Amino acid sequence: MIEDDIYRTSSQFRIWSFTEDSLKQLRATTNTIASERVRAALRRAREARQSAAPSAAGTPTANQSGSEADGKGPGERIIECLTPEEEQELVRYYCEKTVELGETYKPPMPTIVRATAIQYLRRFYLTNSPMTYHPKSIMACALFLATKTDNYYMSLRQFAAGIPGDTTQEDVIAPEFLIMQSLRFTFDVRHPFRGLEGGIMELQAISQGLGQPSPLQPQQTPEDLRRGLSSIPPAPNASSSQSLNDRLARAHHTTREILKSAAQMTDAYFLYTPSQIWLSAFFLADKPLAEFYLDTKIGGPLSSLRTKLLTTLTNCSNLLSAYKPLSTDPEQMKTLRRIAKKLYHCQNPEKANIAGQKRIPAAAMSSGAATAAGTPVAGGGSGESGAESEMERLAKKRKLEGGGSSGTKADDMFGGELVTQRNKQQGPTSHPEAG
Amino acid sequence: MPPQNRILDRGDDDEVCPVCKSSRYLNPDMRFLINPECYHKMCESCVDRIFSGGPANCPVAGCHKTLRKNRFRKQTFEDINVEREVDIRRRVMQILNRREEEFDSKRAWDDFLEQREEIIANLVTGTDVSKTESDLQAYASENVRSIRANQALEAQEATSFQEQQTLEQEQARLRRQAARQEYEDERREILAGREDVISRLASGKPTDAATIAREGQKILLKKSSARRSEEERIRQKQAALRNSDAKKAGAPVATTERAGDTGLIKGLKKIKTPEPEKPYDPFMGMVPNKRDYYTLRDHYPSGYLDPIRQDTRMQAGGYDVREYYSRTLLEAFAGLGCFVDEEVSKRDASTALGLSRPATEGAAMAAVTSSGLNDEKI
Amino acid sequence: MAVSPLVSHSPSAASSSPAKLRAANVRSSATKPENASSHQPSQNTDRELTEQLNDEVRQKYVKDKRLGEGTYAVVFLGRLRTDPSSFVAIKKIKVNAEYKDGLSMDAIREVKYLQELSHPNIIALHDVFSSKDQNLNLVLEYLPLGDLEMLIKDGNVHYGAADVKAWMGMLARGVWFCHENFILHRDIKPNNLLIASDGEVKLADFGLARSFADPYLNMTHQVITRWYRPPELLYGARQYSGVVDVWSMGMVFAELLLRVPFVAGNTDLDQISKICEAFGTPTEENWPGVSKLPNYIAPDRNHLVPTQGRDFFLRQFPNAGPVGADLLMSMCTLDPRKRKTACEVLQHIWWTSEPRPTDKHDLPRKSGGTRKMGDDLTRRGGEIDENAFKNAARKLDFSAM
Repeated sequence: MIEDDIYRTSSQFRIWSFTEDSLKQLRATTNTIASERVRAALRRAREARQSAAPSAAGTPTANQSGSEADGKGPGERIIECLTPEEEQELVRYYCEKTVELGETYKPPMPTIVRATAIQYLRRFYLTNSPMTYHPKSIMACALFLATKTDNYYMSLRQFAAGIPGDTTQEDVIAPEFLIMQSLRFTFDVRHPFRGLEGGIMELQAISQGLGQPSPLQPQQTPEDLRRGLSSIPPAPNASSSQSLNDRLARAHHTTREILKSAAQMTDAYFLYTPSQIWLSAFFLADKPLAEFYLDTKIGGPLSSLRTKLLTTLTNCSNLLSAYKPLSTDPEQMKTLRRIAKKLYHCQNPEKANIAGQKRIPAAAMSSGAATAAGTPVAGGGSGESGAESEMERLAKKRKLEGGGSSGTKADDMFGGELVTQRNKQQGPTSHPEAG
Repeated sequence: MPPQNRILDRGDDDEVCPVCKSSRYLNPDMRFLINPECYHKMCESCVDRIFSGGPANCPVAGCHKTLRKNRFRKQTFEDINVEREVDIRRRVMQILNRREEEFDSKRAWDDFLEQREEIIANLVTGTDVSKTESDLQAYASENVRSIRANQALEAQEATSFQEQQTLEQEQARLRRQAARQEYEDERREILAGREDVISRLASGKPTDAATIAREGQKILLKKSSARRSEEERIRQKQAALRNSDAKKAGAPVATTERAGDTGLIKGLKKIKTPEPEKPYDPFMGMVPNKRDYYTLRDHYPSGYLDPIRQDTRMQAGGYDVREYYSRTLLEAFAGLGCFVDEEVSKRDASTALGLSRPATEGAAMAAVTSSGLNDEKI
Repeated sequence: MAVSPLVSHSPSAASSSPAKLRAANVRSSATKPENASSHQPSQNTDRELTEQLNDEVRQKYVKDKRLGEGTYAVVFLGRLRTDPSSFVAIKKIKVNAEYKDGLSMDAIREVKYLQELSHPNIIALHDVFSSKDQNLNLVLEYLPLGDLEMLIKDGNVHYGAADVKAWMGMLARGVWFCHENFILHRDIKPNNLLIASDGEVKLADFGLARSFADPYLNMTHQVITRWYRPPELLYGARQYSGVVDVWSMGMVFAELLLRVPFVAGNTDLDQISKICEAFGTPTEENWPGVSKLPNYIAPDRNHLVPTQGRDFFLRQFPNAGPVGADLLMSMCTLDPRKRKTACEVLQHIWWTSEPRPTDKHDLPRKSGGTRKMGDDLTRRGGEIDENAFKNAARKLDFSAM
């Protein structure tokens, strides 16, 4: 089908479509790498504290982690990291928070902008772990990025001002590049919303005897279609007196609600195509109506496709109907609090300050380079491969100098009640970034 | 099989029809015919008598070939063996009619010629006939187009050769005529020039005489050299035209076919057909507005869109609600038939296997695992 | 329909050029997809997974000499590491300069839309990666033969109706494909039409592009370089359609025929009055509702220019021929609803009438295009390149590479 080939050219299909297995595998890999890195980083941090304590100025030169790290200190606790499932739960929570954040703006942000931001978050956490980058620091930026990519542009100042709490512009924008890189620089998200509008529009045309035969079933007449539509069995749980128009409107509304919630918070976008997603939601909203519509498209000569498609749509419907919003479910919230607590212990300290990594002032660059003189990171073959390491090194440097994080303010944003604040326990050593 | 019996000289008066035994002596108008099936000779009246009613067996004792009347013809060569070989050769050459320009190298072309001779010899001497014949038939059926093209080319060459001959003769005639004309003109001019000189001499002063005579000579020379260079130019132009004609005729007929799968002939160039120029397609092969799941209407009833239809400003700005119809319906169905689980696992496998760069150990590992996964599924 | 004839995004398919330069065979695509899982790199814990994926892309290329530099971007010649004979252009966007609100909209739009578009007449984006200092690097198709502006301005380049038709055909296909994918280009002009080594014209610079067709959504009217901007945008329309690009195409068509910009106003107001002089004064009669547009200026009643008909176009553009003049007229219709769509433009009989468009390999070309590509790609959307060729003497000839 030509429409399918069109979809196949999209980056969503090329890069962001997975089988359940490959999705699982990818999340497992991400989790493994992040866990290892968290353990290593915590080890380094501890060693740094130990070595920094005696020497007043805290000369970081001694901190050549390699050899020392191997000999594990006797008192080292085993750090328990998040499991991939726990990570997913946490991300889901922040996806729901994204919807709320979008709602706080006046006027509220368009559904599509919020949905794009959620998909950015979900894509981001396929190759990043919440242990490395906390979702609360990524969420706002993902939403801001979505306003830019979905033509709902507002200034960063305006955007930051709209966030409850005192999140600064810098807090918002800091992880932007990191997010873009994790999105592999594909910003286009294909949503099911517009497709739903198209389907409803066509059904309305059919109901008024204006239906057009599908190209593969040219024998259809507008009258056949109209009669077919008016003779479908009533939806389950609906009054029989309901007019066709009301029925369409109702199905339209229900479907849209599913698309705004369940479709966003599950893996639907990764596993199915937008047209499959809206039709699956439509099946949940009004099965007889959805079946009728599908049959006008792929009855007859395509029946093998029909069987196959029904299986896929059923799977997708099941995925969508299994979704329960976290925040309204005390049981899930309890689990979530546990995960948040666990995360507090396994958050990668070197990545906590994204803002610090964002821009490297020239002065810091040169001093950083001096510090790095002994480390064989830069140079090398490609000359550019040391970029990230350089940033990391600077982050470490900051860590050693101040251990600071601008996270304090971001905590207030949302989920303040959820996530224990690391800085409280770190004591007064932390101070916000200059400026 | 070659015929066993000896053939008598045709010119002999006592030549006798081996079938009806009547002789030329008694019937001077008697004509002998042969049939290339078996090459047994018989007289015209025997052919009429035996084969008019349809195909029949050759009446010569021991020959059971079925012959048809329309295949009988006069013998060209006295020696019936020569007659037969010429027939075979003609037939083989018509099939194996490859041209030198179709081969990669001179060597390949020579090999081909040798091979063709061998095939002819086999058929003539009766060695390996059935295999040779079947090879030949297979080749013929696989290369119908190229055979026909080369036949056409030969025919064209034959006619163009004749045309060339005629053309050249005509040109020679024209040249002769032109030369004659030129001679006449020149003579006339010389005469006129002389008269002019004489008349000027007659009217002028005696001291000018030498100058006038010299001038007259000069003008004549100039004229004839101008004429000659103009003729030369025309001649060159004609020669160039002839050459380009010749080039056109000699250009090999391109064909995408290669010698068929039997590979009877080796060393043929892989020739790409310069495709006949197709009409320009402004869409370059794409079909505008083609859809498989739906037929787009010009108008859809929609309360949501009605205000736009009435909004003069939006209308004046060019906002076109049909673009919205087109987009929503496309998005309603784009990807409906893409089964992500199937297509993604398939392409993961193909990427993994097709990955020419084992970039990192990890990539190779991932390749192995994902193709392994896929195997399980299949 | 909207599916590109290119099965894959691979540029090798796009430019099966007999020219010496072989475009890089790099783009992952529907047939050879890049998928985070299939690219799953080592469980190498030295670096984050995201960084590993980025490194993998970055290491596919080697940066070579600099082709051009602007305030917004630097363009380098690049090659595939595995195949040094394959060229790409690497456009490095200076993110630092754009710090205030994060990555600039131009860059976001360009990346977003080019990632989705794959067509022979649209510049191919092979890859995107980040390099040190968080710079964005767009790996673009290498288009060494300059742009259409260069050919229009160079008096030594001679071209005819068949060449113009060939170029316009390529332009119209590129625009049509964008519109089929519901993307407006919004900056079509000769120096955004780059030329590949095989002569194919490619639509570049998607810095002002956006998706369209949604109702009730305002779009900005401050787009498209003035000389190519349609009257509805000059009048401030906030809801418009794909035909804004068709007007620009018409202006490019006229410019190709005249070899100077057809209506070149100094200000937006001047542009409107020049359009009125050239094509007629917009009125409620020839353009119902025009007076309701936000920036509409009532014309001087004593100075109305009647809408120009076929005769005018044929007189102005004799080299277009009657059929070509008819097409041009239908692209420059004042009322956007009466203007042809990109699809209708391609359905016009001009394409199949005489003369046949020149084969792309036989189109006139000019050397020095590499430098021009560098300049074109560093420019920002909507700028008129008024200094073009001022520094021609300083220009180096890179085509010999």
